[in-house]
Amino acid sequence: MTPPWVHRVAFPVALFLLGLLALTSLAIGDMHLSPVRIFSGLLHRDELAATILWNIRLPRMLVSMMVGAALASSGLVMQAYFRNSLASPGLLGVSSGGAAGAVVMIGLGWASASIFVLPVAAILGAMISTTVVIMLARRGASTERLLLAGVALNALLGAVTSYVLANFTLSYERNARILFWMLGGLEDRTWEHVLMASPIILAGALLWPLGRPMDLLSLGAREAQSLGVDIKRLRRSMLALSTVLTALATAVAGTVGFVGLIVPHLLRLLVGPEHKRLVPLTLIGGAAFVLACDLISRSAGGLRVGIVTSLIGGPFFIWLLRRQA
Amino acid sequence: MTSLTVTNASVSGRIADVGLSLAPGMLAGLVGPNGSGKSTLLQVAAGLLPATGGVSWSGREVNEILIPERGRLTAWVPQEARFEFGFSVRSVVAQGRYARGDDECGVDEALRQLDLTSLAHRPVNRLSGGEKQRVMLARALVTEAPLQLWDEPLAPLDPRHALEVLTHARRLTRAGTTVLFSLHDLRAAYCLDFVVVLHQGRLRAAGPPEKVLTPELLMEVFGVRAKQSLGLTLELP
Amino acid sequence: MPLLRSTLTFFLWLAAVLLASGEPSAVRVVSQTVGTDELLLALAEPSQIAALSHLARESVYSAVADEAKNYPQLSPTCDLEGALQFHPTLILCANYSRVELVTQARRAGLKVIVFEKYRTIEDAYENLRLLARELGPTAEAKAERIIADCERRIADLRKRLEGAKPLRVIAPSTYGLIPGDDSTFQDLCDHAGAENLAFTLGKLHGHAVPPNEQMLTWPVDRVVLSGDNAEKALAVFRQTPPYLFMPAVKEGRVALLKHYQLSCVSHRRVDGYEQLARALYPERFP
Repeated sequence: MTPPWVHRVAFPVALFLLGLLALTSLAIGDMHLSPVRIFSGLLHRDELAATILWNIRLPRMLVSMMVGAALASSGLVMQAYFRNSLASPGLLGVSSGGAAGAVVMIGLGWASASIFVLPVAAILGAMISTTVVIMLARRGASTERLLLAGVALNALLGAVTSYVLANFTLSYERNARILFWMLGGLEDRTWEHVLMASPIILAGALLWPLGRPMDLLSLGAREAQSLGVDIKRLRRSMLALSTVLTALATAVAGTVGFVGLIVPHLLRLLVGPEHKRLVPLTLIGGAAFVLACDLISRSAGGLRVGIVTSLIGGPFFIWLLRRQA
Repeated sequence: MTSLTVTNASVSGRIADVGLSLAPGMLAGLVGPNGSGKSTLLQVAAGLLPATGGVSWSGREVNEILIPERGRLTAWVPQEARFEFGFSVRSVVAQGRYARGDDECGVDEALRQLDLTSLAHRPVNRLSGGEKQRVMLARALVTEAPLQLWDEPLAPLDPRHALEVLTHARRLTRAGTTVLFSLHDLRAAYCLDFVVVLHQGRLRAAGPPEKVLTPELLMEVFGVRAKQSLGLTLELP
Repeated sequence: MPLLRSTLTFFLWLAAVLLASGEPSAVRVVSQTVGTDELLLALAEPSQIAALSHLARESVYSAVADEAKNYPQLSPTCDLEGALQFHPTLILCANYSRVELVTQARRAGLKVIVFEKYRTIEDAYENLRLLARELGPTAEAKAERIIADCERRIADLRKRLEGAKPLRVIAPSTYGLIPGDDSTFQDLCDHAGAENLAFTLGKLHGHAVPPNEQMLTWPVDRVVLSGDNAEKALAVFRQTPPYLFMPAVKEGRVALLKHYQLSCVSHRRVDGYEQLARALYPERFP
């Protein structure tokens, strides 16, 4: 177990790190801007710098942070729900539902109609898929039934996506779009994307009071109920929040994997499983993680962020395995 | 006014038509062979498992009591504690105060009573079976609930800790709490106030142990011969 | 009995002679890609065309969309069996066709030509000649006529564009990659008197990710788009960053090409040269 002083400094350190990454994110880009230009750009005194900072870098930074916070906290909720530290946001088919929704739109050729088409389609797809999973599981939504329903739906939705990819091969352009969407990307995020992602902030705030009941739930559902936790209501809220968070994140950035798995898991190892510490730390840590991955992907010349998170996720798992052994 | 009344409780496939009534301050034992429905009955009594029939605590129908209040009125200890995450022993025990404003009242005392003080900062997922059981019991104690329902609390414990648990249970009942727990040790059952015998999901007998645990019943239900004799009695120092 | 047998034999022999005296080794060609569709339709007799690619009738990709309607079409998920039902003797593929298809076709005893070079107009001429050799002397003559005509048109373009300062262009896309040099777009620019900023300033090769922020500083004279209508084509980019911040997009400075011209690999790219030149320098084409 880590020493208690780590618990105390974790949050301020995380905030500081996030701030640092945010500043770096504004300072770095393929267009080299000196600090002076950045400053005058932020104040709208330098038109080109202002366009770059306000219209390109700032929305991208905000979307990265929100996507990271959403995915990480959604993973935290899933891990408490399923009492398993290897649970991730995508278990119940939310992200594949979002992917299927967006991919179908691209395949039909409607993606270019408006900047809102893909995100809205992704959210609809995510909501439909979660509803189906819950209906499939029914009867009290026991964790095992839910998991199985999630597996089934993930497979089905994967088939839908593959079908679109295989049979809409007419257009190289569409294929490229589908692929890029599925690899997750933060390029060219606009203020519309920031707007669409903004409910994440509310959802994250709503997660805070659920922290204590989640502590109890994560040690056993019946045990929690006997201690006075309304587990039916709690589970409904957890499922709803996790779905909304994952759906919104997927909608504005495509499928970005591993964040919901790595961040809460790592933070739990660092500061322990108490949710009163984990919830705020996961929100900040997730934001920082995706921001860092985005910086890496930008420095690597445009690597999709989903690739970066997977490249980090794989070795992380290997490390986990070795640690457990 | 009974502390716990179960009327015609049935859970398909597990128990059928079970009824029992416990007065406040009773130390009661639930016995029966494996698979006779003891765990099911305890969960039904705790309001955790839906069943046909009725369950009431101190005259109030359980279904009409809101869940947060139920947390104050009853404590339930499961047969096996499965801890996935590394909460410290102290924080798990403190969770028992959730229904009472999440204060830390009585936590240290409960740790002391169950010999957990030295383990207070150990993560629960790295405890032995007996230690985990004591953590769950400490958590139940800390709730100050007037009705305690424990599922096989003594099974993983060594003789000394088992005796200590029985002593604490006795102390609780003297203060007015009702304790019902399932157990396998028929000799320990003999020292309780009230014994409920389940056989194949049905109530076989209920009453004071001298009346209930007759050689005939023991043969019928457990398939063992019994006779009165002076055997080994264990006592705490 | 002997009389019946010899009569039968005689008739069988007659049938064989008649059948064999048809057109020596009649060529039937299946084309698997749009580029080869265009070659085939330019050179072959109708009887030589067995089937065209699944994109042949799509005006977005095919220069010969209208003409292609007269011929059967392969299905998009075409495998060898699908092609064989047209009884081909020759199959035309490109080096981006599935290698399994090529191998299977050869094993089935069919002749397969895989076109590997199609970057420059000279490559296109080579491909014309290559196909023409398979189709017969009439086709070879046609090929030479087409090549001569293309050369004439290119020379004419060169003359008209003499002295014109190259206009600076890019070809934006909605999916994050734009063409640098070593692409059909570069070839278009080279022949239409345009400078592809993706190459000269962005140093991009092939289709690559452009530097989104720096692109805003590039002095783009025109964006090259494809479509029927300039405004409609522009509308998409007016909401796609970073193009929506570009002056050229904001002010609607578009050079419009037909869809197929942006990615044409056959000799029909000369249409594209002319279209782009006209769009960029209208004053030189009264």
